[in-house]
Amino acid sequence: MIRKTIKKEIKELFRDGRVRISIFIVLLLLGVAVWISSRQYQNTNQDYAAARLSEREVWDNQGEKNPHSAAHYGTYAFKPKYPLSLVDQGVDKYAGTSIFLEAHKRNEAQFSAATDQTGLSRFGDLTPDFILLFIMPLFIVLLGYNSFTKERELGTHSLLKSAGARGWKIVLGKWIALFLPVLAITTSLLLLAGIVLSNLPDYGVFQWSSLVAMGLVYLLYYAVFTNLVLWVSHWAKRSGISLVVSLSLWIVACLAAPKAASNIAEARHPYPTRQEFAANVLKDKEAGLDGHNPWNKEAKLLEEQVLAEHGVDSLHQLPFNFNAYRMQKGEEHEAEVYFKQYNYLKEQYQKQSGTYRSLALLSPFLPARFLSMGIAHTDYATHWDFSDAAENYRIATQKFLNDNTAQNTKYGERGYKASADFWKQLPAFDYDPPGLDKVLENNSSNLMILGMWTVLSFILLFISTKKI
Amino acid sequence: MRSKWIQILIVILLLLFGFATYNGQQKTFKRQADIIEANAEIADADRDMLKLLDSVEQGFQVSASSWTIPNAPMAVGNYHPRLASMPPSDLSFLATGQSDMFTHFVKPTASGDDLALNFTEMTSPVQLLFGSFDIAFVVIFLLPLLIIAFSYDVLSSERESGSLRLLAAQPISLYKWLFQKLGLRFFWVAVIMTLSLTLVFLLNQVAIGSNFAAFMGFLAITLAYALFWFALAFAVNLWVGSSGKNAVALLGLWVVFVLLIPAVLNQLGGTLYPMPSRGLMINDMRAIKAEATQRQDEILDNYLRDHPEYAVNDTTQKRSFWHRYMASQQLVKKELEPILIRYERQLEKQQLLLNRFTWVSPAIVVQGSLNQMAGNGNKSYKSYREQVIAFAQEWRNHFLPMLYNNQEFRSENYAQLPKFTFQRPTYQSQSSALFVVLCSALIVLGIGALRFRIYSKKEQSLVNQ
Repeated sequence: MIRKTIKKEIKELFRDGRVRISIFIVLLLLGVAVWISSRQYQNTNQDYAAARLSEREVWDNQGEKNPHSAAHYGTYAFKPKYPLSLVDQGVDKYAGTSIFLEAHKRNEAQFSAATDQTGLSRFGDLTPDFILLFIMPLFIVLLGYNSFTKERELGTHSLLKSAGARGWKIVLGKWIALFLPVLAITTSLLLLAGIVLSNLPDYGVFQWSSLVAMGLVYLLYYAVFTNLVLWVSHWAKRSGISLVVSLSLWIVACLAAPKAASNIAEARHPYPTRQEFAANVLKDKEAGLDGHNPWNKEAKLLEEQVLAEHGVDSLHQLPFNFNAYRMQKGEEHEAEVYFKQYNYLKEQYQKQSGTYRSLALLSPFLPARFLSMGIAHTDYATHWDFSDAAENYRIATQKFLNDNTAQNTKYGERGYKASADFWKQLPAFDYDPPGLDKVLENNSSNLMILGMWTVLSFILLFISTKKI
Repeated sequence: MRSKWIQILIVILLLLFGFATYNGQQKTFKRQADIIEANAEIADADRDMLKLLDSVEQGFQVSASSWTIPNAPMAVGNYHPRLASMPPSDLSFLATGQSDMFTHFVKPTASGDDLALNFTEMTSPVQLLFGSFDIAFVVIFLLPLLIIAFSYDVLSSERESGSLRLLAAQPISLYKWLFQKLGLRFFWVAVIMTLSLTLVFLLNQVAIGSNFAAFMGFLAITLAYALFWFALAFAVNLWVGSSGKNAVALLGLWVVFVLLIPAVLNQLGGTLYPMPSRGLMINDMRAIKAEATQRQDEILDNYLRDHPEYAVNDTTQKRSFWHRYMASQQLVKKELEPILIRYERQLEKQQLLLNRFTWVSPAIVVQGSLNQMAGNGNKSYKSYREQVIAFAQEWRNHFLPMLYNNQEFRSENYAQLPKFTFQRPTYQSQSSALFVVLCSALIVLGIGALRFRIYSKKEQSLVNQ
């Protein structure tokens, strides 16, 4: 019975002109989107590699220079792009791509792509995730809104019943028939993406397991929509009403809820403004250790401590340059100030995530979006991770420079210049994003919410269609 | 039937407009509050600075770090900057535009370079990705869907229920009947929208009175946009056929006009006029700076040669770090200008391309128009950036003579410190945008009417479709 229903449904679907046209359009859009995305991905990666090389050369060829001047001259950490960003761009457009690493200051990532675009960029980009997240559910609505109502309107409802069909078998048949084209399109897209990515020169490590995980997330997302559309079709008395209600669900889930959620989250747990943040950092810095000023309280304490440790009573008698040593300690203390302030931001963001989770009750789009971004390493958490890694590298760089001064000069000595070969010894900045298992762990609540949506929508559909 | 859908429409519109306006106003109030607070902070800091300056001038020992003591002009220039702020316009709540991405107040310092001026605000990129639930969103995205829901089956439902034949027997032509029916629905939508918007604005303390021209402009373009969608419903009802097919056609058109065309146009802009790599710009910039640092003394000599008045005014001829640094900075700025201008040029070219093709989708036209009315579009932020950079130069130029003449900053110099006032671009009438949208609506109506012309002898075919 199920198989017969599937065959009948699929025949009807393909007989319908609107279905053939919709499938064609969706495939065309996907093709264009993947092509555009892969070109952009290659360009960005070439850019990244060139910038990284160039920046390292500039650093290595500083010639003879005082290490602290080099510290102020600084260096840059560039954010790499990962293979699955081809499928889901996530927040990459809005997060900066390079961080300036200098002494005494932690900087934010600069030059996000969005700031270099016109206002049109806020409408959205023609990328695979745009099609997968917005257009495919609409496609499901357009294909399935009259799945049950047409039986009633065409009069074939009584025919079905007289054939002795059990409720759930008919529903399952219709479900599979509706889901098959969606499954086919999604799998072929992901296969295509996988093939394209595994043939690109290896800029990032591409893993099929991540691609499969992403595929599963989208399939669950589509299953939820299939359930809801079929349920509405069964509940509605006319095709027109079914279409309007399903469409409203799509609008609320994909358009309205995310925007409302982001506004509410921002209103309840606002970020400080840039000026406020800078002022807070300054306040904390002044209360703490200051690398240059020898009159600061903590510096004095450090002085006494070190003198006691080495059993001498004057800084000149120490085997290393105390100024450089104190500067490093000051650097580490200031870094603590920044970590504290950035942690406050992270806390605010965690609270905002809580708001997104509660609004996920209205929208399966939200957990699916976060999961997809997480797996593609284009989410906010990855950006935080990269910023923190860059900061740790910055502190390590300062240590590298300050230690050199501490070892090679005496207290009070001025005009020391490190040799031209010194700079090459600094290890390069290397960043690896968290693996798939870590990502899934961090997003476990989103996974659970999406799972709940799937299970509950299945239950809703099959219970309400017990008697057709 | 009509009274029921009017009731639903009223409730839905009130909810949507209400939430959107409330949201928008909250953001506006926060922006104003932030600026007021920042100004208060500067006032406090200035008071402290004057006290400190007074102590120093009277010869007391002070406990501040030596390089922050305000009798040095660079100390004042760097540690006591002024606030360069862009206050929100009265209609800022209409469209978020770019206001969630950029900051609205900056404090340019004398030794900071313009590249270091960070105009982006600290926002969660997730919030930027999802966008805002503002009036622009309700009007551009949701209003057409409401219109489609209430008008996709006006003709087809009559046909499918069999009552079309009865209508066809009446003395009014079917085409005119459809036009009148949709026209009446448009009239009701227009009335309800105008009343609910006015009510919601008044409830949220929007200053309609002092911005009457802009408010009228907003209503006009919103109604024109609604007219466009009713025109599409008219054309689709005539051309397509069954309720199902009408729905698919109208939704497809919605996707095309509201989602696809903007995305494609954006893509086109980025492909035809791609932004040069910022990464490589950084490399160029650092190479120039490195070179300048090595040639600092030479650069300083050249600078002083160009400004002989400094040698005349100051007999001590003391030269410090700041003298060399500021001279190098001026040079670096000049050498970097062509590189930076490339970015502005590419963005301008993208914007020009967009301006040329914006008429293809009324959604884009309306968005641009609302952004401008709200003062949150690209134009406003570009103007703000330019004004801030000009002020930064003015601030710098205020201190350079004092620096190079080795003058001290005194308490009486405080009153002469430059101040920043944002010059808002004057309100531009949106009549060209209105014209474009109305034309699009008329063209679509024309396409609908074409069907009548083609089949006017065979009006029966409308009945039998």
